Amino acid sequence: MTSSATAAQPSGANSGIAAFTQEWANALTGTSYLPMTQAQLRQLLNRLARQLAAALLAEPFDLRAGQRVGTELVAAHIASAEALGRTVEVVQLRLVRDLGLVAEDVTDRLARLLAAVTTGYTRAMRDRTLDEQESIRRAAMAQRTKAERALRASEARFRHQATHDALTDLPNRNLFTERLTAALETPQRDTDRIGLCFLDLDQFKRVNDQHGHQAGDRVLTEVANRLRQALTGHLVARLGGDAFVILIERTGGTRDVIAAAEAALAAVHEPAAVAGHEVTVQTSIGIVERQVAGASANELMRAADCTLHWAKAAGGGRWTLYDAERDRRELTRQALTAAIPAGLDRGEFYLDYQPLASLRDGRLLGVEALVRWRHPELGVLRPDRFIGLAEETGLIVPLGRWVLAEACRAAGSWSVTGGTPFVSVNLAVRQVHRPGLVQEVRNILRHTGLPPERLQLEITESAMMSPAEEPVRALRRLADLGVRIAIDDFGTGYSNLAYLRDLPVTELKVAGEFVAGLRAQEPQADERIVASLVSLAHALDLTVTAEGVETAGQAERLRAIGCDAGQGWHFGRPEPADRILARLG
Amino acid sequence: MRRPDWAPDEIDIERPSVARMYDYYLGGSHNFAADRAAAQAMVAAVPEAPLMAQANRAFLRRAVHFLADAGVRQFLDIGSGIPTVGNVHEIVQQVAPDSRVVYVDTDPVAVAHSQEILAGNEQTTVLQEDLRHPDRILGHPELRRLLNLNEPTAVLIVAVLHFVPDDDRPAELLGTLRDALAPGSWLVLSQASDEGRPETERSDAEAVYRRTGSPLWFRDRSELTTLFDGFELVEPGVVWVPQWRPETPESTVNAEASVFLGGVGRIGD
Repeated sequence: MTSSATAAQPSGANSGIAAFTQEWANALTGTSYLPMTQAQLRQLLNRLARQLAAALLAEPFDLRAGQRVGTELVAAHIASAEALGRTVEVVQLRLVRDLGLVAEDVTDRLARLLAAVTTGYTRAMRDRTLDEQESIRRAAMAQRTKAERALRASEARFRHQATHDALTDLPNRNLFTERLTAALETPQRDTDRIGLCFLDLDQFKRVNDQHGHQAGDRVLTEVANRLRQALTGHLVARLGGDAFVILIERTGGTRDVIAAAEAALAAVHEPAAVAGHEVTVQTSIGIVERQVAGASANELMRAADCTLHWAKAAGGGRWTLYDAERDRRELTRQALTAAIPAGLDRGEFYLDYQPLASLRDGRLLGVEALVRWRHPELGVLRPDRFIGLAEETGLIVPLGRWVLAEACRAAGSWSVTGGTPFVSVNLAVRQVHRPGLVQEVRNILRHTGLPPERLQLEITESAMMSPAEEPVRALRRLADLGVRIAIDDFGTGYSNLAYLRDLPVTELKVAGEFVAGLRAQEPQADERIVASLVSLAHALDLTVTAEGVETAGQAERLRAIGCDAGQGWHFGRPEPADRILARLG
Repeated sequence: MRRPDWAPDEIDIERPSVARMYDYYLGGSHNFAADRAAAQAMVAAVPEAPLMAQANRAFLRRAVHFLADAGVRQFLDIGSGIPTVGNVHEIVQQVAPDSRVVYVDTDPVAVAHSQEILAGNEQTTVLQEDLRHPDRILGHPELRRLLNLNEPTAVLIVAVLHFVPDDDRPAELLGTLRDALAPGSWLVLSQASDEGRPETERSDAEAVYRRTGSPLWFRDRSELTTLFDGFELVEPGVVWVPQWRPETPESTVNAEASVFLGGVGRIGD
């Protein structure tokens, strides 16, 4: 296509372009936000109007000028559907007229130029929209990535907090349990062995008490750091308080774990400077080491904990190795102790009686009540199996009360022609020291109807060892009631003669070990001891019963010495009362 | 339950963002479908909403020009939103290239977008913070790096206060900012008002913005004037934004339809 337009530039064009520009600016106002002043806008539009005018008249006619104008408008942020519509309208209606443009095919050219403006404008708008969409999406993605990273970091931090101790930053019990369980559940080889060292600082409370809790915390931090350094490669965890644990995986045997324990002992024992003082802390360590196969985390922890207590009980500042046999024994003892209350409730305890016979005429003077436990699983247990435990735990108090009441009840029902025997009951140290003993005895005597003189209470020398006056007063009041008081196992304790003077004792029971030496015809040291005890007792107006008399020879010697009574197999084993009474007829 | 400080912000582009809705009003394409849906609902409720946003943006431009002419070289733009056309730093760095601008917004995407746009511009920065924590804004190391608060600074809080209800004590927030500023510093405020608008329009607009998590809190002229406490308002005071130092008399026609009230105040020497 050829163009035959002849262009003329009429006078007054400047005022014309000013009017057109103003009209264009007015049309654009409010179409979208224009980040410029009105003057800047008019300046821009003026330039673009000149370009359009020039393009209309140019030879050859070049549509690219129209596209450039459209692109420039969008670049100047005159970028909205309304802005394009109004631009087309204003240019179509006003450009040729206001600028007085004259050309043969100007109408045709204007239509094509506006089409080019629209094309350039729309293309730029599309690019701009795509760019902006991309940029906001990139921003959202960047933010999401950042948020995810932050989330991962915060999860890692949370996980660290959940698995580490806040004070020392050592792994805590959770992480330790996790690692121990993993080591046990997924061993690398079937023959893998594993070791634990349980640590507990010795008398750590004293650090807190003497230097304050802050100092205590510093000691713990210091200990944690040293353990961490001394035991690299092993998991060192703080279980809480002043308790730590070391996990040693894939040990080659006990020796490896002992080496770790030695290293831990040495690291902890190094003095630490705390609050201007040099503080030396020691630790006890319980070691357990075994094959992974068949082990459980709970059982290992319990074994290590129990071994730690052995180390403490042995004086602390040392390691102790787990001993399964010792553990079993202790467990049995503990189980037995725990079963005593239920055993009392279910009536599993009963009494046997052992005769105390006169050495002068063989007459039955009394019987000693001896408690038995008919254990549902272990069978009949003698007192040496459970009295010690009962004394340690205080269960001796209810058990002893039951024995006293039962013995008195039984003895109250006996009747023997020619002298009914008294019943002798052992009182534990705790019972003697309990307030209310006198009242208790009195109540039992009243309920059972047993005359007080038919009750003998056996106390050990150790019951009298304490400086307290209350037990002495209680015994005096019991003696005043008429109850007999015997010292059991005399000669094996401190044998303090002073209390024989002060106490209302009626009888001494000489320990069986002296009696065991009374064999031969020729007098031995034991016989001389027993003889002097007898003469001492008689001088104080006390009677003497020899325990553990097993043979007629021993009984003969004792009679010769002047001992009053004997007890032992020679006179009868412990058995139910009715059998003893039946023999007496 | 309050999120712990170290928990990252959630990015949910399904939820309309007021920053991206504002970009849409201004004719931008920095927005997602959810933003456009909410903005279109707003336009249905208040057909002039885009014009209002444009008028407010033009107010910001005139105010910043005014401050640059007054010699201010430090700008703190709180609630800067999507850095669409006519940024403060674009305006001011044309006039005074050594000016420094700190942008602040709570919207994490707006902040990420700003970071992209501002990359390489050593005299600008953007912080993700909330106007409700002025102490954190003022103490932020990035702000401290760029601004010397012993020198006059202009604080711009434009089209943001209507997201701060009275329960959040805006007067105290502004007081904290004011106390940190040197004599000769400036405050630019604008915010939506429901003066002279029908009740239905107000409730429809509120319903739209409740979806964004940034409900609207309208204030009238006297309430906004009170928030300039401690600043001397320059002429013409708190007015409909088109009336604030207009370029042409025509642009103030129908000024009250702009919904936005605005003003500029100065701390005396």
